[in-house]
Amino acid sequence: MGDKKGNELGDLKTQLRNLAGSQLKENTQAKRDLFKKIISYMTISIDVAPLFSEMIMATTTTDIATKKMLYHYITHHANSNPELALLCINTLQKDCCDVDPTIRGLALRSLSSLRVSNLLEYVTEPIQRGLQDKHPYVRRTAVLGLAKLNAMNPEMVSDLDIMGSVRAMVLNDPDAQVSANALTVLTEVEGYEALAVESFVTPILKRLKSYNEWSLALVLEVLARYKVTKSSEIYDIMQNLEDRLQHANSAVVLATVRVFLLLTLPLPEVHQQVYERIKAPLLTLISSAINEIAYPVVAHLHLLVLRAPILFATDFKYFYCKYNDPSYIKKLKLEMLTAVADSNNMYDIVTELSEYVADVDVPIARSSVHAVGQIALEAPDSDNIVERLLLFLELGQEHITAETLIMMKDLLRKCPQHKPAITQALSFVNHSVVQEPAAKAAMVWLIGELSTEDPYVLEDLIETFADEESPDVRLELLTACVKHFFLRPPETQKLLGAALAAGCRDSHVAVHDRAIMYYRLLKHDVRKAQLIICPETVSVSTFTETHSSDEIEQLFQQFNSLSVLYRHPGFAFASPEASPVTVAGPAEDRTPAPAAVQEAPAQPPVQPAMEADLLGDLLRNDPPADTDASGRVQRAPVRLESPSKGRICATCALAAVAHPHLLPHDSRMTIHHELPGGVFLAYSRPAAAVPHASDCQHRCFRWPDAV
Amino acid sequence: MISQVVVLSLRGDTIISRNYRDDVPKNTAETFFRKVRFWGAETEGRSGESAPPVFNSDGVNYYHIKTAGLFFVAMAKTNAPPSLILELIQRVAAVIKDYCGTLSEDVIRKNFILVYELLDELIDFGYGQNTSTEYLKSYIFNEPLTVTTVAAPGKSASIFAPNTRSAAAATSKSVVEKPKKGVTRDEIFVDIVEKVSVTFNASGYLLTSAIDGSIKMKSYLSGNPDIRVALNEDLAVGSTENSPFAGDYGKGGGVSLLLDDCNFHSCARLKDFDADRTITLTPPDGEFVLMNYRTTHEFKPPFKIYTAVEEVAPYVAELVIKVRAEFPASKNGSNVVLKMPLPKATTRASCHIGPGQTGQTTEWKESTKEIQWSFKKISGGSDHALRVKLTLSEERVPNIKREMGPVSLSFTIAMYNVSRLVVRYLQILNKEKGYNPYRWVRYVTQSSSYISRI
Repeated sequence: MGDKKGNELGDLKTQLRNLAGSQLKENTQAKRDLFKKIISYMTISIDVAPLFSEMIMATTTTDIATKKMLYHYITHHANSNPELALLCINTLQKDCCDVDPTIRGLALRSLSSLRVSNLLEYVTEPIQRGLQDKHPYVRRTAVLGLAKLNAMNPEMVSDLDIMGSVRAMVLNDPDAQVSANALTVLTEVEGYEALAVESFVTPILKRLKSYNEWSLALVLEVLARYKVTKSSEIYDIMQNLEDRLQHANSAVVLATVRVFLLLTLPLPEVHQQVYERIKAPLLTLISSAINEIAYPVVAHLHLLVLRAPILFATDFKYFYCKYNDPSYIKKLKLEMLTAVADSNNMYDIVTELSEYVADVDVPIARSSVHAVGQIALEAPDSDNIVERLLLFLELGQEHITAETLIMMKDLLRKCPQHKPAITQALSFVNHSVVQEPAAKAAMVWLIGELSTEDPYVLEDLIETFADEESPDVRLELLTACVKHFFLRPPETQKLLGAALAAGCRDSHVAVHDRAIMYYRLLKHDVRKAQLIICPETVSVSTFTETHSSDEIEQLFQQFNSLSVLYRHPGFAFASPEASPVTVAGPAEDRTPAPAAVQEAPAQPPVQPAMEADLLGDLLRNDPPADTDASGRVQRAPVRLESPSKGRICATCALAAVAHPHLLPHDSRMTIHHELPGGVFLAYSRPAAAVPHASDCQHRCFRWPDAV
Repeated sequence: MISQVVVLSLRGDTIISRNYRDDVPKNTAETFFRKVRFWGAETEGRSGESAPPVFNSDGVNYYHIKTAGLFFVAMAKTNAPPSLILELIQRVAAVIKDYCGTLSEDVIRKNFILVYELLDELIDFGYGQNTSTEYLKSYIFNEPLTVTTVAAPGKSASIFAPNTRSAAAATSKSVVEKPKKGVTRDEIFVDIVEKVSVTFNASGYLLTSAIDGSIKMKSYLSGNPDIRVALNEDLAVGSTENSPFAGDYGKGGGVSLLLDDCNFHSCARLKDFDADRTITLTPPDGEFVLMNYRTTHEFKPPFKIYTAVEEVAPYVAELVIKVRAEFPASKNGSNVVLKMPLPKATTRASCHIGPGQTGQTTEWKESTKEIQWSFKKISGGSDHALRVKLTLSEERVPNIKREMGPVSLSFTIAMYNVSRLVVRYLQILNKEKGYNPYRWVRYVTQSSSYISRI
């Protein structure tokens, strides 16, 4: 195979040599065909770099089609052959002075695209000459050449001291494409901010109509950064741009919408009118464009809906999914439907969502269940909706049951008034059907929480405790058993014993530690243990998983960018900062980063005198090593913190100070204190021990209820 | 801005690869294909999900559109507007199609040098340049090699299949095609394509309905003369709340044609649009969409669907589906396919077409538990019925209706549009005497999401 390739390259070399000097007309076609072959090899990544010197010998051609292929080859291979690339400079420079503007432009484009740093000195002069060319094709190429030069060597560009004349080109060049390319250079060299000044914006606005759609997008980006000085200016600009909202190109419309939204931020009333004005154009784009083009528009509409759901409450029908929508659009639509649900449209929306639950696409079916649950959580008076949600269990489909259980758990945590309905629904669930870890954990938690639930179902689950793969489920099983024990000690003592025994044998640190902690708590004082493990439940007021307004506002500032699609601020994934953070795309779940940021202030470093003492005590009282047969000795120091608003209550301090060994190993204990709700213990594993930040956070949030 | 543009076949072969900024790794094409191919496989239970058109992998942003059996992909490092890049690669695909007449893997392979040439002119250093087809003409030197496609019967590339075949063939000619035997054929095509979305609830009540229409043009007029397109005089644009015409039905002036909203190609001059509903334009070469419009106002759905399910005996259920074509008898629906998922417990479904109904086929797909009922042709005003006997693996399916459906219908009706929007006339302005090019105005209605719930 290698030989064959070698031969083929040899053949090509010979043919190139034969044709090289020939200027004969009849050889033109032969040359074209030969070059075509070489470029086709290039495309399928066959290395044709060894032909470089022969290719350069063939540069003496007058046929433009051949020339283009040749230049294509040269720009592709020059930076891996810097010495040989020098050989083609002469020809390229000569072509830069050709009588035909097409050839001048072509040669200049190729010359500036060589990307060979030690050849840059040969590039500047033809570029400068090109900027003065009569023909716009050459000027537009020359000016972009400056951007290419800047990417290779910014000092060279600043030495040319040419940005002043580039600015003049933006405003005065008769050709709109030259003007737009000059603007491109300025944005790359000086940045958008430097351009968003009145002396520049006003004249650009005057020639706005001459730009094509791609240039317009660039100009609008500059406008979006412009800080107006007087409000009359806002209206002038908006009037100037209004017809752009009717453009069929989504890039133009979104860029215009961005300008409108950012301009009117200081004027809340006008800002709201802008919302009303842009709805129809965005919806038209969504319905007329192909799915790929519609997707960013939907994502931006999604952001606007989350930012001001009330303004879209009457438009909910536009967010209904089409049967043939791709899943990436359906998902966004489901979230929009959830966001706009209010007391007027709620029943219509839930009815529609209930239809999607039967979707053959499993993730969409699940998201629909999730959406119904979410609406139930937000609705103050949601009996009917809860009923709808619980009906999904009757479908008897595993994925639907699983998602419904998860939502039931959240519902019970937030709205305890639905306890009877949930209890009744849970009794119909066939426990063996539920296999998925998250759903099973939710189910076990529900069993533990709902006192009326028959404790004997737990017996079956405890029997298979060791076979249960997910540690989350095992953790929940332990807690559920303890909860039932407090209710009916005689009946469940055996069950609890079995659970704790299995837990202590567990190889997973968290499960093992929790079992030991329960065991010791119970051994110390059952009544106090009950106070700690089963305090009076306080319902959750909000779930932090929902989008925070700060996060939405941050994304809003980056309207019309990838940030909105990824739901990450731009610095997380894009150059020029070029931090190579992997973002797996919008399909990924909630962003861990911003959530972690919110989490931080919940644990302020406030350490009043009393707590400082506690901390000292804790550090001295290192947990005994008796449980540590497996050799996991590395222990992080245990920290005790309290939120700024409260003082540590007696029980809590007692538990922590008197029995520091109750605290799980390798963990940080945080005592959240809320009176009169009871004591909240939350522990989280140090971030290093947890593979995902979200894992850590997750545990923090689950604990207050679980304990 | 765009670092690289790649065209891939659906099998993952790189057909075209153009690097503009040299700042992305060499293997981006493979990375892209692997990501798209196995999207969702990494996260449990999400396999089979299609990759979103924009995603990030290892610091490179990938933007793609899938068209004509090809992936058009752009890679970028910056946080550039996604719409801009997606629109630009869509435009790249459109220009290639204008030049080559059609778009397919074969066409790109045969014309790859031309495609590179186009890519060089369309995009420079990752920024979109002048992309209008007629502007490009003076900078493009390779000639397109046309690929003759043998259209498989019943699977014609054009939506105007049956009665306008010659016109369909004409629209697939290249914008730079040399006149054959010295005869230039000046012509312009105007297609009014309407996509209908309808959802009926179980009792046949219309839950939602919408028309997404577009006026597509393809011009082969030499010298690009100005033209004027006139639409219905009673056309009104604006949503129900804001429209002064809202609630105007039945008033003396008759029913207006109400659109929720519309947008236009940048070549459209709308000076007179408000006054007399005419659009003046200089049609660019090649294919373009002059106007998109959308309406959720009442219209008559072209098909009505009725279903009835009954559990007739243990293990047996019976399903009856009726379809009624509610458009004029002079029109025909083609490529009509009705699909319906059946309960999971269905082991067999036998379909019986009503007596005297020909040109229909039915299929029971056991793997997806779905029946499919296809029609070669449905004439306006006709009724059709299908009786399906379901054999179930359970004695009773408690929620049999919840597990079935929805019924989805796909169809094409040529020379018919539900919204009543018409092109009243198409006038060539400041024309020379005797210049009278062919003007084709065609209408078609297609299904988008046409659903009836059980």
